[in-house]
Amino acid sequence: MTTKTKKDQGFIDIANKAVDMYHSKKEDLIPILMQVNQEIGFVPKEAMEQISLRIHVPQSQLYSVATFYHMLFTKQTGRHVIKFCESAPCHVVGGREVLDALKNKLELEPGETSSDGKWTLTTTSCLGVCGVGPVIMVDEDIYGNITPNQIPDILAKYE
Amino acid sequence: MKNKRSIIKGTLPAEQRVVLKRAGIIDPDSIEEYIVHDGYFALGKVLTEMKPDKVISILKESNLRGRGGAGFPTGTKWGFVAGTKADKKYVICNADESEPGTYKDRLILEGDPHSIIEAMVIAGYAVGADEGYIYVRGEYKLVQTRLLNAIKQAKEMGFLGENIFNSGYKFDLHIHAGAGAYICGEETALIESIEGKRGEPRPRPPYPTTNGLWDKPTLVNNVETLANVAPIIRNGAEWFKSFGTPSSAGTKVYNIMGNVNSTGSIEVPMGITLRDVISIYAKGLKDGAVLKLAQTGGSSGSIIPADLQDVPMDYDSFTNAGVSMGSGALLICSEKTCVVDLAKVLLNFFRFESCGKCNPCRIGNQRAYQILLRISEGLGSMKDLDDLQDISKWLYEMSNCGLGQTAGSPLKDILKHFRAEVEAHIVKKECPAEVCSMSGISPTSN
Amino acid sequence: MVKITIDGKTTEVERGTTILNAARDLGIEIPTLCDHPELTPYGGCRMCLVEVEGIKTLQPSCTLPAGNDMVIHTDTQKVHNARKFILSMIFSERNHFCPSCQVTAGDCDLQNAAYDESMTHWPIMPNWQPYPVDASHPFIILEHNRCILCRQCVRACGELVGNFTLAFEERGADSNLIADLGLPLGESSCISCGTCLQVCPTGTLIDRWSAFQGKETELDKTKTICLGCSIGCGIDVLTRDNRLVRIEGDWDAEINGGVICEVGRFLPMVEERERLLTPMIRANGKLKAATWDNAISAAAEKITASKGNISGVASTRLSMEALNEFKAICDAYDTKSIATTEEFSAVSAVFDLAKSSGKAFESKIDEIKNADCYLMIGEDTTKDHQVISFFAKRQIPAGSKLIQISESPSGLDNFAVESLIIENNSQSAFIDAINNLITNKSGDTEKIAKTFKLNLSSLNNIVEVLSSAKIVAVIFGSRTNYDNAAAVLGSIISLNNQINGKLITTKGNINSVGASAIGINGAINIDDSELIILALGDEELSQNFSKKFEKSPFSIIFSSYISPLTANADIVFPVKNWLEQGGHFINLDGHIFEAKAALEAPEEVISCEESLSKLANVLKVKKQRSWKELVKETPAPVTIS
Repeated sequence: MTTKTKKDQGFIDIANKAVDMYHSKKEDLIPILMQVNQEIGFVPKEAMEQISLRIHVPQSQLYSVATFYHMLFTKQTGRHVIKFCESAPCHVVGGREVLDALKNKLELEPGETSSDGKWTLTTTSCLGVCGVGPVIMVDEDIYGNITPNQIPDILAKYE
Repeated sequence: MKNKRSIIKGTLPAEQRVVLKRAGIIDPDSIEEYIVHDGYFALGKVLTEMKPDKVISILKESNLRGRGGAGFPTGTKWGFVAGTKADKKYVICNADESEPGTYKDRLILEGDPHSIIEAMVIAGYAVGADEGYIYVRGEYKLVQTRLLNAIKQAKEMGFLGENIFNSGYKFDLHIHAGAGAYICGEETALIESIEGKRGEPRPRPPYPTTNGLWDKPTLVNNVETLANVAPIIRNGAEWFKSFGTPSSAGTKVYNIMGNVNSTGSIEVPMGITLRDVISIYAKGLKDGAVLKLAQTGGSSGSIIPADLQDVPMDYDSFTNAGVSMGSGALLICSEKTCVVDLAKVLLNFFRFESCGKCNPCRIGNQRAYQILLRISEGLGSMKDLDDLQDISKWLYEMSNCGLGQTAGSPLKDILKHFRAEVEAHIVKKECPAEVCSMSGISPTSN
Repeated sequence: MVKITIDGKTTEVERGTTILNAARDLGIEIPTLCDHPELTPYGGCRMCLVEVEGIKTLQPSCTLPAGNDMVIHTDTQKVHNARKFILSMIFSERNHFCPSCQVTAGDCDLQNAAYDESMTHWPIMPNWQPYPVDASHPFIILEHNRCILCRQCVRACGELVGNFTLAFEERGADSNLIADLGLPLGESSCISCGTCLQVCPTGTLIDRWSAFQGKETELDKTKTICLGCSIGCGIDVLTRDNRLVRIEGDWDAEINGGVICEVGRFLPMVEERERLLTPMIRANGKLKAATWDNAISAAAEKITASKGNISGVASTRLSMEALNEFKAICDAYDTKSIATTEEFSAVSAVFDLAKSSGKAFESKIDEIKNADCYLMIGEDTTKDHQVISFFAKRQIPAGSKLIQISESPSGLDNFAVESLIIENNSQSAFIDAINNLITNKSGDTEKIAKTFKLNLSSLNNIVEVLSSAKIVAVIFGSRTNYDNAAAVLGSIISLNNQINGKLITTKGNINSVGASAIGINGAINIDDSELIILALGDEELSQNFSKKFEKSPFSIIFSSYISPLTANADIVFPVKNWLEQGGHFINLDGHIFEAKAALEAPEEVISCEESLSKLANVLKVKKQRSWKELVKETPAPVTIS
């Protein structure tokens, strides 16, 4: 039996808090996972084990749900997650050049996290702000009408 | 089909705000302002003056059709749920809005959240449900906040909960947020998601109208559809039919985007043509470019060439022309758009969003994407066109749900209307629009 | 009833029947890849799509209910083209290179489906991300690259066994089979039941030993009974050239419906003990090979000389026929005690209670398959009699609640709503206390909770669950010592009556009931005997139990395998193991089964029944009454038929 580290215990506490918030109802698995994801930045294994125990959902089903929904991460992300919209409406108004600018500036391919742990670059489907494409989202902030030369200033806002 | 009522020769159709009447005018966080602007009046009328089947007959009379994309007659759907005997029923508002190019529901929910609450209570009363869910996509955080606030206010004022308007009728409403899956816009996948599972669509039949949430009869309606309910109740079915076309009554919100001068949203009577949208509202294509194609209804919609831009945009006219209107998204593209590149982006969307349950969609989208990728690198062959044609045909014929069934539409349309351009990539190793990389290097992605 | 026409043939079926099943009734096989008669339909592979008149697109026959007057075509060009498309898609998705696969040429549903459509090559080139092979499990190999993502294994692991180890991660083309939170199968919560192996249509999930051992279509198949425990699951034993290849659950068997556990499926594959191949007699301190006749004579001589001072011990893995012969010999020579090899299984206590009550009080296995509460007392059914735990666990998604009471933690703790640790010898008092609370609808719950060191809420929950459940299955068993087995049983029976429960005691081995039913269930007492006759068969005794025989002056052993026991014996007879012998057995709920031999024994090895019969003949033992008669006369806790 592996000893729990303090970090593990923190994850377990956050999981318990999320479960309590939804009164341990197993049909609220997705909001529970989203709550944990919100607090930690992803859903760690320790949290999933605890949630599984508390709401009586088998671990495999929990993992299956957590990996199905793309707003949930099961691996550690960077401090800031960039979501670039790669759907058609953003693409036809110059999306590709913006993505190239992002990839070059960050030196990351979509799906990768920078080695200093600051950035995770991902692509995403339509965010629902198609009137102002191209669009990127950094954490909870949405930026529209993006041109490639705006990228450095936007990224500079984040620690 | 001639639209006799709203398009009079020589006159331009103006916006007619029904669902977006209050959006941008009132403070969405103020229930008082909502009430001042005719809010909860329809609900009061329904609960104090009408029996449930009267409500349904008004809806049927109004010819309101589902605004999520399918265009199913709303009154008929309500009738199915009302007619199913059960000890428990549900009403669900589908606010998952993930169709690329579509953000009309967000405008309604952010600008006029109470309109949906009111509509759901009316719907619940009409079909015999006492509980409802609004399924909001996870990315719409502001919508979730505004709705939670609106529900709290409605409860405090007695428009939700026990004994609404002293009628004895009770209705509880919950918000359920999604977590990033386009497929959850499909009604049975949405229901699976509310039940805490993967969003994998169920086999139909049985339909949600008889076996939905927790296997109980469930009404699922799109946001824009519901936003029409209270106006119809207040003003009557005849009023609603007085704009739009005989097959498609009422208004439609269109989201305009692409290579145009002015992007944004409009709410106009059904039946406007694409030409009018571009010239009047989009203010023409950017830099004087020429219209090459438009994609209507989002990524799963039809790709229509310029020569169809005079077809009235209503359900039946479009169906007769072999295209679909869908959600009301209008992606307008000039010759700067390459059809191979566009198809590649669209197929990438479908393969990313496919739930993976059924073979044609899970594998077909992946194969089609890879083929288009190779074509865009100048490595295509004529067999690829046959493969793409096959995949698109069988996607429609065999997929388990609408995502798979419509994923093949862009392929079908592009091969029908723009085959020469695709062939140029293969035979001449050229991208006429000068978009595709045509590098000759085999793509490593899969 | 609805009327449906398929390929010109018309039939009437019950409303709700799927087109697939209606077609089967008519003898029309519609190909499927994700469907299985024992699993809920999935509707994912789309192979079963057919033309339905009046509906524009093809429809899935596995999920579409037959509608009245539906007209269906399963054999049109369109349908065949559709199937070819699905197959070409699947072949392009992962590594389906048939020539190097262990299930090629007859055993693979994918390959067979392709041949049925006259496909000869891949129409679309495969292009996929290779997955690593998961060989972490002791028995099962998971070759992801052959997977067709049909989800039969996932559904089987959940619906048939209730373990839910398997699921699918990600979505779309990234979908993949995983265990628990993405662990290798060998590190997961997998209980090695192997049901996934049985349902997997391709070579994705295979067992280590039977791979490449022969096409299923060329193997010999024997339908028989697993003798691993008292349940008696129906199995198919697949053999080739008189060698065991694989054991599978028999889908048609009533008791288990196709599921078996690791004890039945895998343990026989890892049998490492050496066989006894010839009779042996000890001479000058050493065991020497002898002929059957000589060895039987020597045994008869010793038995006659020791009359009255003999102990007989029989394995409860022996058939009724063998046990009957054994008893006849023991009775004829006034054995001091006649006992079985079972430790602690409480079966004798159960039979004693039956004697005093005069009638059967246990239920049948079928009655506990749909309970809404399972009260498990004593043993850990995830280790012993595992199929019972499958029946219980798989009901949990439907709302069934499990309660576990035992003196140590059990594998059901994660599944149970209440899991209590109570010492064996305190369980009787605890069950009485629960009974009182339920009967009187009140009581000093705080005191009871304190006495048995429980949470008050747990106690209340148990009372609530037991009081309100419609069908309660009460399962009692033991492989550890109960000083007061009779008392515990008495308490359990009393509680069972109060809540109208369905009681089943798991007893022990396959023929525990059979042995008791003909009078072989006394406590083992071999200390003062001059001679011990041990009819061991193929059983493996625990070290503790074997120690009892260390000091015996003279032992005659009938055994299949060499062991320290046989090494110390004086006369040894080699007998058939369970795969080589037939015979009748009576399982835990009173079913009389006949097992069939699947293999031939080595040359000088005969069945235990035959060898005992030889001995009885030489001893001139009077013809015994038939075991069937004896069984009828013995009061038993179960109705035997």
